[in-house]
Parts: sequence; C-alpha cells; structure tokens
Amino acid sequence: MVGRKMTVSKFMIGLVLSVITLTMFVPIVNLFARALSDPGKVHLMKGYDLLPKGFSFIHFEVVLSNAIVGKALLNSLFITIVGTCLSIFFTTISAYVLTRKNLVGKTPLMICLIIFMILEPGIVPEYMVMKDLQLLDSLWSMVLYRTINVFYLIIMMRFMEDIPDSLIEAAKIDGAGHMKIFVRIVLPLSKIPLLTIGMFYAVARWNEFFKSSIFLSSRDNTVLQVLLRQFVVDNDTTALVSAASLLSNNSVAQLDFSALKAATIVVAMVPILLLYPIILKYYTSGVMEGGVKE
Amino acid sequence: MMGYKLRKMWTDWVLYLMLLPAAVFFTLFHILPIYGMKLAFYDYRIIGEHVYVGMKYFNSLFSTPVFATVLTNTLVISAMKLILIFPIPILFALMLNEFHNGRFRKAIQVVSYLPHFLSWVVIAGVWFEFLSPSTGAINELLKLFGLPAHDFLTDKSAIRWVLVASEAWRGIGWDSILFFAAILGISPSLYEAAYSDGANRWQIVTRIVLPHLYVPMVTIFILNVGFIMNAGLDQVLNFTNVSVNSHIDIIDTYVYRVGLVNGEYSFATAANLFKSIIGVVLVLSTHFISKKLTSKGAW
Repeated sequence: MVGRKMTVSKFMIGLVLSVITLTMFVPIVNLFARALSDPGKVHLMKGYDLLPKGFSFIHFEVVLSNAIVGKALLNSLFITIVGTCLSIFFTTISAYVLTRKNLVGKTPLMICLIIFMILEPGIVPEYMVMKDLQLLDSLWSMVLYRTINVFYLIIMMRFMEDIPDSLIEAAKIDGAGHMKIFVRIVLPLSKIPLLTIGMFYAVARWNEFFKSSIFLSSRDNTVLQVLLRQFVVDNDTTALVSAASLLSNNSVAQLDFSALKAATIVVAMVPILLLYPIILKYYTSGVMEGGVKE
Repeated sequence: MMGYKLRKMWTDWVLYLMLLPAAVFFTLFHILPIYGMKLAFYDYRIIGEHVYVGMKYFNSLFSTPVFATVLTNTLVISAMKLILIFPIPILFALMLNEFHNGRFRKAIQVVSYLPHFLSWVVIAGVWFEFLSPSTGAINELLKLFGLPAHDFLTDKSAIRWVLVASEAWRGIGWDSILFFAAILGISPSLYEAAYSDGANRWQIVTRIVLPHLYVPMVTIFILNVGFIMNAGLDQVLNFTNVSVNSHIDIIDTYVYRVGLVNGEYSFATAANLFKSIIGVVLVLSTHFISKKLTSKGAW
C-alpha cells in the first residue's frame, strides 16, 4: 500500500522535473531543427518540432558567408580567446602573490579588492576612462576591460591556500625564485581551478552584451551578441536580407527569416555547447565538493 | 618593525613585480572609474575643467518623477524575483533527490544547468518563440483550453512576470546545485536511523533534509537581498519594447539612456552613485548579517 503510493508520488515528481526540463530542451533543439530545415519547408515547423523538415545547410551558409556576421563572429572569437588567456594568466599570477604568507601590505590589498568587488562605478565613468585611453571602438577595450575579475581572483586564492606550504618551502631551499616556483610548482598543481575559472571567463566574455554594445560602436568592430540582438530583439534583419537577396539572384529558393535568425542564435550557442561538457566536468564537481565540504 | 617590513618588501620585490599587471588593470578599470564618479558633483565640460556644482544633480534627480518610477520598478522587480524565485531551486533539488544516481537524474541535470550559460540575447530569442502569439507553445496551450492567444511581451501587466519567469527558467537548475550538494552531504546513517524508526519519505524530507538546507537557504536569501538594486540590466535590455518599457525601466537602463544616449553625463553619474552607495551598504550589511547567522558571507 505504502509502496504503491510512493510510486505514484515519485511518478508525479518525475513528471514535474521532465516538464521543466523539456521547456529548456525543446526550444533549444527546435532552433537547431529550424536552422537545418529545407528553406521551402521551414514554414511547416512547429514550436515543438525536434527534427528538421527536410535538410539543408543553406541557412548556415548564408549566415556565415554574410560579411557582417562573419566579422562579428571573428571579433567575438578574438575577444574571447585572447581575453580569456590574459585573464587566466594574470588572475593566477596575482592569486599566487596574494596568497604568500607574510606578504607586506596584504590586508590593505584585500580591502581594496573587496571595495572593487562591491562598488560598481557604473557605465558613465567607465565609458569616460575608455575614451581617455582611446580604446573606444577598439576590440582591445573588451579584451582588457576587467581582465582580472575580483570574484574569480578570490576563488583562485582560496584554492592556492590549499597548496601545501612544504612544497614551496622545499623549492625555495633549492634556490628557486618566486617566478620559478609559480611556473614549475603552482601552475601544474592548479590545472583544475585554472580550467574552471578559464571556462567562466570564456563564457562571460562570449556572452558579454551590454559593455560590448557601448565600447564597440562601429559595425566593423561589433560582436555576435550585439548583432544577434538586432536580429532577435529589434527584428532588424537588413544585414541578413542583403545576403539573402544576393543568393536568391543565384536562384536559391526564398529564405525564411525565422530560420536565418535561428541559425544565427545557433552560431552564438555552439561555442558554449562545445565548452559545456568541460564546464560540467570541472565546475559542477568543484561546487559539489565545495558544498559537501561545507 | 617598520624597518623589517621595508626590508621584507625589498627582498620580495619579485612578488610586487608579479602584482604589477593586476595593479595596472585595477587602476584602469576600477580605481579610475570610481574616481570618475565625482562627476556627479561637477558640470561636465568637453573642453577645460569640469565645474563643481555640489548637490545640484542630486537635487534634480530626486525631483525627477521618472527617477522615482525607475527606482520603484527596480525594487519591485527585484523583490518579485527575490521572493518568488527563491524557493524554486530548493524544490528542484528536493525533487531531484528522489531519483538516485539514475540516468534520468543525470539527464535532468545536464539540460537544466544549460540556460545559465546562455546570454540574455539568446534567451530572449528562445522566449520570444516560446511566447509568440501565433506559433508559441504557451499560446498553443492556451488555445487548447479554449482561451484566446495573448501577447505577453507587449502587455504591461504581464511583462514583469515574464522577467520573473525567464529568470527562474535560467537559474532553476544551476541555483539548485548548492542545495543539492548540501543534500548529498547528509550522512546516510541519519536516513537509516529514520527508516528503522519507521519514518516515511515525507517525514524524512521535512525532518532530516530540510533542516540541513537552512544554512544555505538563509545565506542565499540574505545575500540576494544585498543585490536588490540590480534588477537585471541585460535581461531588461533584451525583453523591453515601447509598449512595456515604462513598467520595466530600471535604474541601470535609465542611467544608460540618460547618460550615454542623451549625453547627460553628470546627471546619470549622480543616479548611478545613488544606486552604488545603497548597493554597497546593502551588500556589506547583508554580508555581516549572514556571517553572524550562518558563518558564511558573500566572500
């Protein structure tokens, strides 16, 4: 009797979980299906269809061969890759210094970090600084902007505090300097947190929308998220239309804009999906262990 | 003592050299902008020195009706999110815990964590499809029950609920991780003892699991209160439109519009300074309250 009742409630719980998860799974897979559909059959796609109607790469070809989208994609990749490498390097090296015992000035430095973390000066003073640095409308503005995130720096420090002091002391006795200890001992031991914060920097940089839309004003320097907002939110598809009409001159069937939009969203999502398994592996397990330790 | 410290700094010069890039980055993107907030007390001049005007911009800020509106919007939207979304990840973690190590649980986790990593632009794209009056799933469902299709995105009375719902959708899986980890940390011997006392599943959840979630619950709730001045800039920018903007115009979008679109730099900086100061006070006080109650703070 009790057992049967339990099965019913467990079934209900499973149902609720499934419905919640399907609201995420279905729309995202639907975007892929729509983008991969045959241009002539896209209008048959329903919001819950998981498989493409017909099959064609034409929407991706149009989107990726579009000069503006292509440029934005390259810009996004440049900012994400170069920025993330710089972020990882400078965050790690700073975390190493700030976790040295007896570092003179550690307390005032930590207080500064906390102030930086909670006091947001806002967009106007930041815009002014970028202007004074002559970085406005340069990709470097977004590469350099907040290269070191205080929050990730503190996470990195927490981890480095766990590296046994004996290892570092032993290296010191062997005559290794701080730079050598950092490169030879600390970095190899920090692979997992390094990957973790690296993933987070990469996702944040790839997804950055507001600051990019302000610091990068010209079309040549725009990034994918900003361009995508034009298509999705403002319904301004002029950039796509010109490419489509070019193709239709080559007697390609009329293209469906919902499919072109879907293809652009997919392009913006793919790097995240590629990183996602790594994020799940390192970050989720990190949080889990941290949580259990608490 | 002083001499010792100086000597130590001298021998550790490599360390300070390694910290130099951080010093440069923090100076450029934190210290200089914080210093730049003084613009709130000055008249902006393109050429020459800015002119000190004292509280002029704060006075005009507090006498501008629009500012009262955006402040109210910010607080209302934040409070709605804070209260309505708070229990959802906890319930999600509790429900997930009913399934032990199965493929089902893994699949739910993998899919439900994903939206956290999508940008608001992409989420807006997904939700616009979702809520589309002609083809969207929600409206298909309404029609199924014989209700008329509704355009939620241009409805003033619905748009805040759309913000709350999309925020909950984005965070439900990810925000449940902390609670789920706390559940996994419960000692199996507690369950065994309860079962041998004849407890049923419901009693186990209410008497054993929930008490173990009090600490993360209190911490997270209090810390979220600290961020009440941030109602979600990226989200609003992507969900807004002419019909509903007056209902979801928040301080951040207001500062952006007045400052960078209209070029009223000093006025916008004053609005932002007001927000930042309240934000700092809230984050600091919630941090110390949380430390006191649960020994866990914001950092």
